[in-house]
Amino acid sequence: MTDSRHAELTDLAGLYLVGALTPGERQEFEAHLETCAVCQGEIGSMRPAVDALLLAVPSRVPPIDLRRRVLRDVADLPSAADSEPQKPRPTGLAWIPLAASLLAALALGLYAWQLRSRVQNLETRLALAMEQAASAQREILGLRQAALEARSTLAVLAAPDLARIELAGQPAAPQARARAFWSRSRGLVLTASNLPPPPPGRVYQLWVVTADRPISAGLLEPNASGDVTATIQTPADLPTPVAMAVTLEPAGGVPLPTGERYLLGTPATNL
Amino acid sequence: MWALFGVIDPVARNREPFGRRGEDQAADKDAIRRIAAGDPDALGELYDRHARPVYSLAIRIVDDATEAEDVVQEVFAQAWRQAGRFDAARGAVGAWLLNITRSRAIDRLRARRAKPQATPTLTEKPVDQLIDPSETQERLIVTAETAARVRAALGRLPLLQRLAIELAFYEGLTHQEIAERLEEPLGTVKTRIRLGLMKLREALAETGA
Repeated sequence: MTDSRHAELTDLAGLYLVGALTPGERQEFEAHLETCAVCQGEIGSMRPAVDALLLAVPSRVPPIDLRRRVLRDVADLPSAADSEPQKPRPTGLAWIPLAASLLAALALGLYAWQLRSRVQNLETRLALAMEQAASAQREILGLRQAALEARSTLAVLAAPDLARIELAGQPAAPQARARAFWSRSRGLVLTASNLPPPPPGRVYQLWVVTADRPISAGLLEPNASGDVTATIQTPADLPTPVAMAVTLEPAGGVPLPTGERYLLGTPATNL
Repeated sequence: MWALFGVIDPVARNREPFGRRGEDQAADKDAIRRIAAGDPDALGELYDRHARPVYSLAIRIVDDATEAEDVVQEVFAQAWRQAGRFDAARGAVGAWLLNITRSRAIDRLRARRAKPQATPTLTEKPVDQLIDPSETQERLIVTAETAARVRAALGRLPLLQRLAIELAFYEGLTHQEIAERLEEPLGTVKTRIRLGLMKLREALAETGA
């Protein structure tokens, strides 16, 4: 294996791990992997991050009868062996009625006592569980929101009718850049960087410019480094955009753009 | 109240599906040994510990409840057949099951894409319907911590790095397909995935995952 060949192949480690190689490339890489300690090390060190992706999905509950179906499936397969041993049947105590009733009274007392301590125990656990559920509920609302956002961003980007619009910094902010992805069926994702912090009382507002007029697509709140990503639902009957722009506007936003342009771009291809 | 316990108890046990907790991993490996010996009860145990993340991943990829159930059945049937070949030295049982799940689910997705008319059932559901409203909040806790950590780490990646990773990992696109979709050169996609994975790895190491 020559060095240049190795450099070319080691580059594929990430693609291999996330499953982005074609079958041919995959075979080639696996053959290389067997003989290359460097690539094995690379794969080993990145594997935990990829395994974590397996768990980073919204949690869903399988239907209750799926367990039965799964176990029934394997019962039909070979190799499932031994049957369950039969439990021995208890024999009757009825041969001393008096002793039996005494025993029963004793057992009842013991049972009542056990029951009371069991109830106390369960009450403690219930209180604990309620507390856990309450804190989990707060966490979950946040999670669910994050999951929805991630899901809709990805849905836009995986859309069959995806179009891309590059936005360039205008004289007010020549360093600023943005890229928008728009799908008529799924919505709009905008990612911008290097926006200067807006002056007090002013906000950035995003516009989808149609042949008729600019339509507000909402306010942007960049972080401290001037980056922002926004996912926006757009109506299915939105007229085809001819341009997109970001302007600086009074707090709360305005129905039509009034302020200076910071970003502007037109679609690379006809939408 | 009885119903509530039924829900809370498995949650406490399953909090770490890949088991930072040694006893879970040991129990999994013991179950695998028993499955290899043909014990169906052991498969039931494995199901109880892993069905939820397996089903969650399957439905995330195939985006269809019935198909996700088929995937779950295939995964446990495969575990039943191949338990004897499971190599305990190579990692956690949970990761093994989920890797099988991903590959089964992506196979279905690709088969569906290969048929011309197939995409609509996958894609045209409004986003709001993708989360099952009947799901109780208690049940959501199970993988919440792990998922939250990784999701947070993913969320901190630059958008295009995250997208390249997600389009490959959950949507089963090849790097050529991703490059076409994002209108970017192949080399750029390669770099984004690599950088994204490296950052993800660092983020997980920092939070002690």
